[in-house]
Amino acid sequence: MKYRIGIDVGGTFTDFLLAFEDGTSRIYKVLSTPDDPSIGLMTGLSEMAKDQNLPLKDFLQQVETIVHGTTVTTNAVLTYNGAKTGLLTTLGVRDALEMRRGIREEQYNNRYTNVEPLAPRYLRRPVKERLNYAGEVVIPIDMSTVDEAIDIFIKEGVEAVAVCFMNSFANKEHEEMAAKVVRERMPDTYLTVSSTLLPSIRFYDRVSTTVLNSYSGPILRRYLRSLVKRLEEAGFTGTLLIMQSNGGVVSPQVAEERAGVTLLSGPAAGPVAGITYTSINGFNDCLTVDMGGTSFDAALIKNQTPLVTSEGEINRLRLALPMLDIVTIGAGGGSIGWIDEGGLLRMGPQSAGSKPGPACYDIGGELPACTDADLVLGYLDADFFAGGRMKLNYDKAAKAIDEHLAKKLKFDMLEAAAGMYNVINVNMAAGVREVTVKKGEDPRDYPLVVAGGAGPNHACMIALELEIPVIIIPKESSIFCAAGMLMSDLKHDYVRTYPVALKQLDREKFTRLFKEMADEGTEDLRKENIPRERVEYFYSLDMRYTKQYHEVNVNISEADVYAFNLENIAEEFHKLHNLLYGYSLENEGTPIEILNMRVTCIGRTEKPRFIEEKYAGEDPSGAFKRYRKAYLPSKREFADVPVFDGAKLLYGNRVAGPAIVEQVNTSAFITAEYSLIVDRYGSFMVFLKDREQEFAGRIFNE
Amino acid sequence: MSKEMEVINGVKIDKILVSVLQRRFKSITQEMSHAITRTTRSPILCEAKDFVTGLYDGKGKMLEQTENLPILSFSLGPVCEYIVNYFGEEIYPGDVIFHNDVFSMGNQNNDVAVYKPIFFDGKLVAWSACKGHQADIGGAVAGGYNPNATEVWQEALRIPPVKVYEKGKLRKDVWDLIFANIRYDIVREDLTAQIGSCTLAERRMIDLVSKYGLAVFEAHKEYLYNSTELMMKAEIRTIPKGVYTGESTVYYDGRNPGSTYKIRTKITVNDEDITFDFSETDAQTSGFVNGTFTSSASAVILTFLQMVNPDIPHNDGMSRPIKMIIPEGTILNASYPAATTFGNHLCPATADAIIRALAPVIPERVTAGWNNLLCGLVNGIDPRKHAPFVDIIFLGMKGGSGGTYGFDGYDHIGMIDASGGVLAQDYEMFEQQDPHLLYKHEYLIDSAGAGQWRGGLGVETEFSLDGEKMNVITFGDGDVEPAFGVFGGKEGTLNIIELRYPDGKVHVPLSKELVYNVPKGTIWYQQAGGGGGYGDPKLRPVEKVLKDVKNEVVSVEKAREDYGVVIDPETLTVDKKATAELRAARQ
Repeated sequence: MKYRIGIDVGGTFTDFLLAFEDGTSRIYKVLSTPDDPSIGLMTGLSEMAKDQNLPLKDFLQQVETIVHGTTVTTNAVLTYNGAKTGLLTTLGVRDALEMRRGIREEQYNNRYTNVEPLAPRYLRRPVKERLNYAGEVVIPIDMSTVDEAIDIFIKEGVEAVAVCFMNSFANKEHEEMAAKVVRERMPDTYLTVSSTLLPSIRFYDRVSTTVLNSYSGPILRRYLRSLVKRLEEAGFTGTLLIMQSNGGVVSPQVAEERAGVTLLSGPAAGPVAGITYTSINGFNDCLTVDMGGTSFDAALIKNQTPLVTSEGEINRLRLALPMLDIVTIGAGGGSIGWIDEGGLLRMGPQSAGSKPGPACYDIGGELPACTDADLVLGYLDADFFAGGRMKLNYDKAAKAIDEHLAKKLKFDMLEAAAGMYNVINVNMAAGVREVTVKKGEDPRDYPLVVAGGAGPNHACMIALELEIPVIIIPKESSIFCAAGMLMSDLKHDYVRTYPVALKQLDREKFTRLFKEMADEGTEDLRKENIPRERVEYFYSLDMRYTKQYHEVNVNISEADVYAFNLENIAEEFHKLHNLLYGYSLENEGTPIEILNMRVTCIGRTEKPRFIEEKYAGEDPSGAFKRYRKAYLPSKREFADVPVFDGAKLLYGNRVAGPAIVEQVNTSAFITAEYSLIVDRYGSFMVFLKDREQEFAGRIFNE
Repeated sequence: MSKEMEVINGVKIDKILVSVLQRRFKSITQEMSHAITRTTRSPILCEAKDFVTGLYDGKGKMLEQTENLPILSFSLGPVCEYIVNYFGEEIYPGDVIFHNDVFSMGNQNNDVAVYKPIFFDGKLVAWSACKGHQADIGGAVAGGYNPNATEVWQEALRIPPVKVYEKGKLRKDVWDLIFANIRYDIVREDLTAQIGSCTLAERRMIDLVSKYGLAVFEAHKEYLYNSTELMMKAEIRTIPKGVYTGESTVYYDGRNPGSTYKIRTKITVNDEDITFDFSETDAQTSGFVNGTFTSSASAVILTFLQMVNPDIPHNDGMSRPIKMIIPEGTILNASYPAATTFGNHLCPATADAIIRALAPVIPERVTAGWNNLLCGLVNGIDPRKHAPFVDIIFLGMKGGSGGTYGFDGYDHIGMIDASGGVLAQDYEMFEQQDPHLLYKHEYLIDSAGAGQWRGGLGVETEFSLDGEKMNVITFGDGDVEPAFGVFGGKEGTLNIIELRYPDGKVHVPLSKELVYNVPKGTIWYQQAGGGGGYGDPKLRPVEKVLKDVKNEVVSVEKAREDYGVVIDPETLTVDKKATAELRAARQ
């Protein structure tokens, strides 16, 4: 037997998906161990071995691949527990990191302070050197200033160094000279060189990203080395891969060097999973949403490709590495309801978390949370939460809602609960709108793939708010990201800055730079055991009309790159500009410029297969549990709603809303507007009743 | 079901929908802002974000805004109402209207607004609009800011509301007339980008009204206004009732060196409204240091908004309880046909007068004085591209804000008019786009006014001017009077600009000056001062003082003199005994 395992370490639970050779799989969840996440990870692996009736060692020897998503870097940055970091930078600009170009995100709030820099000012040391905008030396590097800075770093016990000089995107020589001395004099210190990590223009973006990489690097290095050691000692001989923020995976060795690529990797496997679950039902595009305890992640996927942005940030610190364009808002099962000064009901972003938890957990929480509303509205079963492992307290939930919200709103308790349910659904719909409407995309064109423990109870209402006709609740929805990890490919992004007018593009240089990046990708993937025939290359250009300051990233085909087909490239740009900003200047003949050239190299990995189930007919009665009173939002009243056992629903079973489908780790509320059909892979397809024909066809005919 | 259902015009109010609409308006204005940032050419717009976007109802009342630069923000609504009255019945789907005229509610000549009416079922239901500071607007001086101007025509092309598109069709003659009077092509391209953003908003609003229906939209909009008004009234009730006065000084009118003008405010706080009366303010100047009604009103609103709950939505209801008396003929509301380009920059002085009036009343909600703006603009030819360039030196002008109760001032934030909404250029983009080489842009040591909560740090900037046929224009203040401290806090530092010519001579321009023919290779040197401190510096925790010394933003000398903290310059350790003695002696 060969196994593959996806592991997602979250704030509360560590999720696992164990995939078997025959394509079947099994879900595991254990409590996370934040002090050393590898402990929880090993616990999960031991449980699996036990279930396979194998000693851990024998089990691990049969594990081919482990794909692992970690938030150790994310947490280090959010909690300021990263490495003591020193910055070597050009004389005269050492405060760029802290200044953040002078933004105060809350303009009217005089108590809103700047974010603490990851390298304090006394560890941001100047190097006398200067390159001009074209990379030509204006002031040669004075190596004595490098030595002086390193003296200070050594004296202060700096654990990581970042090197970022002005205009180094155009000439990396000075940075490399400085880096050489750092390597010699501080051999064990983690080092990031900006022109290696991110050779692209915009100083603040580069310095911030370089420092983030150094700040989080030593912690990731320590963690990965200890994890690899633990796994090896336990008998693991297969391949370990690490999830990145861009939706791909890398080897632990590459992740160690480029720790920044893992900083927002938490939700990054979700979109990958979304693609898989929708494509098997014949969709090319989808929206994925993941509603956990405190946060809600939404992402858009077009042509089976998640959208990528280079404009991300973490904790108000700029991170200019490509990452999946995922919007995260503070909405989850723990979101707390409150009344603002204008008397309006609000939900979140404050969350009760797992401690003190929603009032119904009965472990100290007194404020009304989303889970409390879900309980009193009948969407959750007090005795079957987490498969019955945790009993929920209805009275505590009702009391919290009544005291903190209903009395102030002059509503009765249930009306207030219904209000909470509505408001949080609207908030989440706004998050979905961020990734669709805001980008000019119509959410109604996309099936909504729903994940996370709390997601399926809210999915229909989010979809209704946005008029989305189809919802897909995957079989593995509660451990969506762990499943997504097993479906991820190796992925590397490369960039070169080449500012030039499209018409003056030098063909030799253009093709040479692209080829150089492609070769680099081939080589990096070769080191990760991906043979050339499994490598795919994706080319794009950051383009703009002349004199514009910002670019649009335009995908271009490999054929257009090497055939130097500038007309096609220009046309793609005009089209995209029009879509995003409401106009193009194609007719005016305004010249086009390029700024950055990008290549993404993807090394395809083996994916788990899906097993088709046997058609079991429409009748769901074999899974019927009982009737329960639940609130129907469109009718604004309670009614008896049938409850089904999700584990017993089979391919072809059809459940008309309103209905509740319970599973061990999640529960789905299907509103009256929707129906559910189980697809051949055991996932739930939910669709507007009046469009049933259209979607039922997809499930049964293909 | 015991609740009383509220009904407006026969429509039952769904409070949830009110929240939904408010959020949606906001996200539409943010999307407009994003589009303008991504598409405009002038670094003033795309790097610094010197613009604002907004949505207004069919009558021109504010629905929501994204206010990158608040001083522009509270002009869009009044102009919208003006346009609604001006065109009356002759407003059609597909119209696009330009406006900048300061004598019909515009705030500044360079700030050109684009308006697009939004129709649903043949009815005018809303407007999308945006206003941005253009790289040029005609007049005597490239880039605007003509300190020699005495009349509006010397400053700018006046655009009272004019349709550049009617019913979706470009009025080519009008379009060409406007751009025949503006120096740079990028202005045409930037206004095209602004129109694009209004088109995006129009699409979103039509979708939204179609979804809920017009009657529901209208009723819920009214409810939103009313609930916001209640929030603002609740805030006003937290201010002790009474009449309070404050004043500040404006230095140099651009024509008479040494001249000063007073801004005087009388603030009356009642139960549910607040009035800002500037009747005692000095008369207008003969030059361009004059405000317009809306630039001054914006200054009042943005200052007051910083003293109340920052979560109040920005719509018509927010401003209802705020009354203003700004008589025509004063420096804050100059009579036709005065020059007024400087008007936005009277905001710091206006804010100072308001802060001084309210500091004794709501001491925990005011800040100490902010660094006043002193800014510069450079135009000329970029020899690398053989093309003209013009840029406002945003990165040089960002001083510190004043400290407040419990919090230090914000370092390198810049003028209170923007409150951190306007950004410094990215250094590498600055050097790509303009012929400059940046030598220094760092916090200025000892610039922050000392205090229990110190002022924000100022900034020192140095770069070379490597263009040809260059002119420099300075505009601002703060080179005579620094940001003031409050409750025992000390003042910040002054603003300074120097032009260090290649021949060794140094020219220190006045705070409003047009310097012609600046030679290639001149060094621009600038200090933007720090903000004022709040509270007695001796009460500042020693470890905070030590941290600032270690970070080289407060000197060992200043630590001793201002804060009474004795630090060994070699070891950077605190001499506890000497510190205790020094602090005790100063009590």
